[in-house]
Amino acid sequence: MTANLGRWFPPRLWPFYGILALLVIAAILAPWIAPRDPNVQNLLGRLKAPGTEVRGVTYLLGSDELGRDLLSRLIHGARVSLMVAALSVIVSGIFGTALGMIAGWYRGAVGMIIMRLVDIVLSVPAILLAIITVAIMGPGLFNVVVVLAFTRWPRYARVAYGQTLGLLNLPYVRLSRFMGASTARVLIRHILPNIIGPIMVVVTLEFGLMVLFEAGLSFLGLGVQPPTPSWGATLSAGRSYVTTAWWIAVFPGLFLFLLILSVNVLGDHVRDVVEGRR
Amino acid sequence: MSAFLIRRLLQAAVSLLGVTAMIFFLQRLTGDPVLLMVPEGATQEAIDALRSQLGFDRPVMAQFADYMAGLAQLDFGQSIVQNVPVVDIVGSRLPFTIRLAMAALVLALGVGVPLGVFMAVRRDHPVSRIGMGFVLAGQSLPTFWSGILLILVFAVWLGWLPASGARQAASVILPAICLSLLSMATFARVARTAVLDELSKPYVRAARAKGLPMARVVTRHVLRNGAIPVISIAALEIANLLSGAVIVETVFAWPGLGQLTMQSIAARDFPIVQAVVLLGAFVSIFLNLTADLLYSAVDPRIRLEGGK
Amino acid sequence: MKRLHCTLLAAALAATTALTAPAVWADANRLAIDLVNEPTSLDPHLQWNPDSYYVYRNIFDNLLTRDDAGQIVPQIATAWEQVSPTEIVFTIREGVKFHDGSALTPEDVVYSVQRITNKDFGSPQLSQFATIASAEVLEGNKVKLTTKAPYPALMGQLVKLSIVPKAVVDAMGKEAFNQAPVGSGPYKFDGWDRGVEVRLTRNDDYWGQKGSFPAAVFRAVPDASTRVANLVSGASDLVVTMDPDLAMQLEAADGVGPRSALTERVAYLAVNGAKPGLDDLRLRQAIAHAIDRDLIVEGLLGGFDKPVGQLLTPAHIGWVEGFEGVPYDPDKARALIAEVGEPAKRKLSFATAPVFDQRIVQALQQMLTDVGLNVEIELTDMATYLKKVQGDPAQSPDMSFGRWSCACQDADGVVYPLLHSSSSWSRVRNVELDKVLESARGELDPAKRVADYRKVQEWIRDNVSQVPLYQAAIIYGASDNLKWQPTPNESLFINRMSWSE
Repeated sequence: MTANLGRWFPPRLWPFYGILALLVIAAILAPWIAPRDPNVQNLLGRLKAPGTEVRGVTYLLGSDELGRDLLSRLIHGARVSLMVAALSVIVSGIFGTALGMIAGWYRGAVGMIIMRLVDIVLSVPAILLAIITVAIMGPGLFNVVVVLAFTRWPRYARVAYGQTLGLLNLPYVRLSRFMGASTARVLIRHILPNIIGPIMVVVTLEFGLMVLFEAGLSFLGLGVQPPTPSWGATLSAGRSYVTTAWWIAVFPGLFLFLLILSVNVLGDHVRDVVEGRR
Repeated sequence: MSAFLIRRLLQAAVSLLGVTAMIFFLQRLTGDPVLLMVPEGATQEAIDALRSQLGFDRPVMAQFADYMAGLAQLDFGQSIVQNVPVVDIVGSRLPFTIRLAMAALVLALGVGVPLGVFMAVRRDHPVSRIGMGFVLAGQSLPTFWSGILLILVFAVWLGWLPASGARQAASVILPAICLSLLSMATFARVARTAVLDELSKPYVRAARAKGLPMARVVTRHVLRNGAIPVISIAALEIANLLSGAVIVETVFAWPGLGQLTMQSIAARDFPIVQAVVLLGAFVSIFLNLTADLLYSAVDPRIRLEGGK
Repeated sequence: MKRLHCTLLAAALAATTALTAPAVWADANRLAIDLVNEPTSLDPHLQWNPDSYYVYRNIFDNLLTRDDAGQIVPQIATAWEQVSPTEIVFTIREGVKFHDGSALTPEDVVYSVQRITNKDFGSPQLSQFATIASAEVLEGNKVKLTTKAPYPALMGQLVKLSIVPKAVVDAMGKEAFNQAPVGSGPYKFDGWDRGVEVRLTRNDDYWGQKGSFPAAVFRAVPDASTRVANLVSGASDLVVTMDPDLAMQLEAADGVGPRSALTERVAYLAVNGAKPGLDDLRLRQAIAHAIDRDLIVEGLLGGFDKPVGQLLTPAHIGWVEGFEGVPYDPDKARALIAEVGEPAKRKLSFATAPVFDQRIVQALQQMLTDVGLNVEIELTDMATYLKKVQGDPAQSPDMSFGRWSCACQDADGVVYPLLHSSSSWSRVRNVELDKVLESARGELDPAKRVADYRKVQEWIRDNVSQVPLYQAAIIYGASDNLKWQPTPNESLFINRMSWSE
C-alpha cells in the first residue's frame, strides 16, 4: 500500500499536488476566505497597485478596472474556472465514453452512426458551435459547460470505441455474454473497468485544455457573463492594462498558469503510472 | 481492405452532407445579417426590403434546397455582406492559414520531438528538466495572453518583429510561435513516451549489451520505430493547427481562415461560414480516416470493420 | 545527440541574426491606419459600417459634407435652395473628374440618388434616403430633389450620399464595382489584398484640398491591444477604437497619444415599460434616480465623454439648451422601490453586446444593485443583441444598453426611431408622443422644432423610456507628428491630415 502511494505521490510532485489542493480548497471556501465581495466596485479606487489602501480597504493584490478587489475576484474565480472545467470534463467524459462503448459493442449500423457523428462534431470549429449555442440558448455559465461538453465528447468516444473493440474477444467478456448477462451489465462491469485507465488519460489532458478553452471563450466575449469573476474573463480584461496596471494581467495569468501546470504535470504522471512506465 | 476503404469514403461523404445540413439550419436559428447591415434607426420597410432582396424571407427549406442545388454544381454562393463569390474570399485566405499552420507545425515538430527524445534518453539530465518545464509552461498559458506578451517583447520593446499583419515574411514568426506552443508539448510528450516504450524493449538491451553506444542505438533503431505514433499524432495536430488558430489569428491580425470564420459568424455571413466549415470538415475527416488506417496498422487487435 | 544539439543551436542563431537587422515598417510617404476589421465593401451604396466608410469616404465625394466644426458645407453641390417645403435645388460643382478621367455630371448625382433609393438594389442605407421621392436634372447644372413630405433632416442625410459614376457602375456591374471602386474623392483606390490591407493613392487632380500623403494603407487589426502595440512600435500612424484606459496607456508611451472628439453618439440605458414590474412608472423612476452619470464619466471614462440629461447631444440639431434630466438620488430610488414592493424584486435582464464597453455596463448594474434591484447582464453577440432589442416589446429584454448615432446630427434621427410607435427600434406606443415626433420631423421653422423636441425630452424624462447617460467620445491613437483633429461624425478624411513639421 505504501509502495503504491509512493508511486502516485512521489516527493517531487508534492508541490504540484499542493498547488492543486490549495486552489481546490480556495474554490470551495471562496465565500468564507475571500476578503471582500468580488463584485463590489469602487469607481474611485480603480487600478490601485497591490497593497494600496482606499477608504480603509486594503487591496492585497491591487484593484481591477472597476475598483474591485483582485484577490477576492481571483479566489472566487478559482471556483468558476475549476467548476467549468470539472463539469465539462465530467459531462463530456460520461457522454463520450458511453457512446464510444456502445459504438464499439454493437458495431454495425449503430457504431457507424455514432462514429460518423464523432467525425462531424470533430470537424466543426468549437468557436462556431459556441456562438451558435449562445445565440440559441442565451448566455451563461452552464451554457459554457454545454458548449465545452458538446465539442469535446468525441475525444472520449474515440478512445472508448477503440478500447472496447480491443476487448470484445477477451475470454471473460465472451463468457459473460454467453452466460446471458445484459449488455448494460457487461459494459459497466467488464468493459468499463478495463478502459477507465485510457479514459483517465484523456481526462487529464482535457482538464487543462478546458480551463484554457473557457479563458478563450471569455476573450472572444462568449464566456461566462460579467461580472462573474472567471480567471479567463479577468485575464482578458487585464490585457489592456499590461503596461499600466500589470497586476490585473499578471495575477490571473499566474493562477491560471499554476493550475494548468499542476494538472498537466500530474496528468503526465498519471499517464506514466497507468501505462506502466513508472 | 479496399471494401473497407470504399465504405469509409461513402460514410465520409454522408458525414460531409450531415455537417452541411447541421451548419445550415443551426445558422438560420441564429437570425440573419439584415439588422447588422442596416444603419441604426432603419425603418421596418427598409429592413423588410433588404431582407427580401437577400432572400431571407423565404422558407428555410427552400433556401436549403437552393443552397444544395448550387453546391451540387460546386457553386458555394456569394458572400452576403461582401458581394463577392465565396470561393474568392476563402481562396484568398487559405494560403495564409496553410502558411501559419505549416510554420507552427515545423516549429512544434522541430522543437518538440528532439526535446521529447532527449527527455526519454536522459531522463534526469538538467536539460530534460528545463525542457520539460518549458514545454509545460508553453501549454499552460492561454494564447491570447502569451500572444500579447510575445508582441510586447519582440515588437514593442525589442522591435525585432512586426506585431501583426501578413505583409512581411517575418510576420508569420510570432503567430507561429504562439500557435505552436500547445502542439509542441503534445509532440514532446508523444515522442518521449514512444522512445521510452522502445527503450524498454529487449532489442535495445541486447544492443546495449553488445556494447553499441547509446546514441547509435537511439538514432539507428529507436527513432525509426518510435516514429509511427509521432506521425499519426502529427496528422491530428495538423487539423488542430488549422482550426485552432482563431484566437491567434485575432491577436496577430493574421488574415487566415480562423479570423474569417470568426468574423463571418459574427456578421451572419452564412455562405462563407458554410464553405469554411465544409473545407475544415473535409480536411478533418480525411485526416481521421488516415489516422484510423494507421491505427489499425499499428494495433493488430483492432480489426477493420468490413475488412473480413 | 550532440549533433542534433548543434544544429538546433545554429538554426536558432541564424534565425535571430536574420531578424535583428532593423526593419523599416514606417514609411513617411504612406499613412498607415489600423482599423478593427477590413472593409466589407467599398461600394458606398452597399455597406454601412465604420470600417467600410472610413475607407470609402476618401475615395468618393458626397453631395454635401461637414467641415471640422461640424457645419454642413458644399462638396459636390456648391449651393442649394429650398424652392418649396418638399423641393430643394442643388447646383452641381463643375470641373470635378472621376478617377477614370470622366467628368462628374448632374446625371451622376441623379443616378446615385436613384440607385440608393431603389428597393430592388437592396442598399442597407435605404431608410436614410427613403423620404426622397424623386431626383431630376434641371437646366444649368442643377439637380432637384423632391421629398415625400417636408423633411428638414434631409441635409444631414445628404452628407452621406456618395456620388458614383453612372457609366462606370453600369459597365462594371455591382459586384466588380465594390472590389475596384471609382470615385471622385481625394484618394484613388489602388489595391485590396483581402484580409491584409486596402491601399489608396493620392488623386493629384483632385478639385479640392489635396492630400498631403502620396499613399495611405488601411489594415484590419481586430485586437485593441495589438493596435496599441502597432502604434507604439511605429508600424502604424493612426489606430481606431481606443477606450479611455487604453488612452491612458498611450499617454504613457513615447511619441504617441490619444486623440478624441465628442461625437453625435448618445449612450443610454433603455427601460422596457412593456414588461411586468417595469410597467410601474415608480420602478422606472427608481432606475433613473439610481444612475450617477457624472461618476461614470469622471470615474470610468476619464472625462473624455460628457454627461447628458436628454436623449441627444449638443452636436445635434434639436438639442435643448439647459435641459436637465432625472437627478441622481439613490435614497429616492430606494424609497420608490420600497413603495413598489414585491414586483420590484424580480430579476431584470440587461442586454448588451461585446462592442459596448463592458465596464460601463457593469458599473450600471452595480448602481442598480446598490439601490436594491436584481439585475442580470446578458452579453450576446451583436446580431443576437439587435434581434432581441428590435423585437416585440413584450419579448424584449427588461433593459438594454445602447449607443445611438444616426450619422445625421439631427434629433429626428435619434428620437423618432427610438420612440415612435411605427419603429421597430421603439418600445414606446403612445399616440400623443407620435404626433409630436411627426410634427417635429416636418417642421421647417428651427425654433418651433426645438420646442417640439423639448416636449419629447420632457416625455422621456417623465416616463423614463430611456435614461440618457452621456455624449460618447471617440478615441483614436495617433503618432505625435500626425496633424489631425477628429470630428464628431466619426470620419477619417485623409486629405485633412498631414505630418507636423
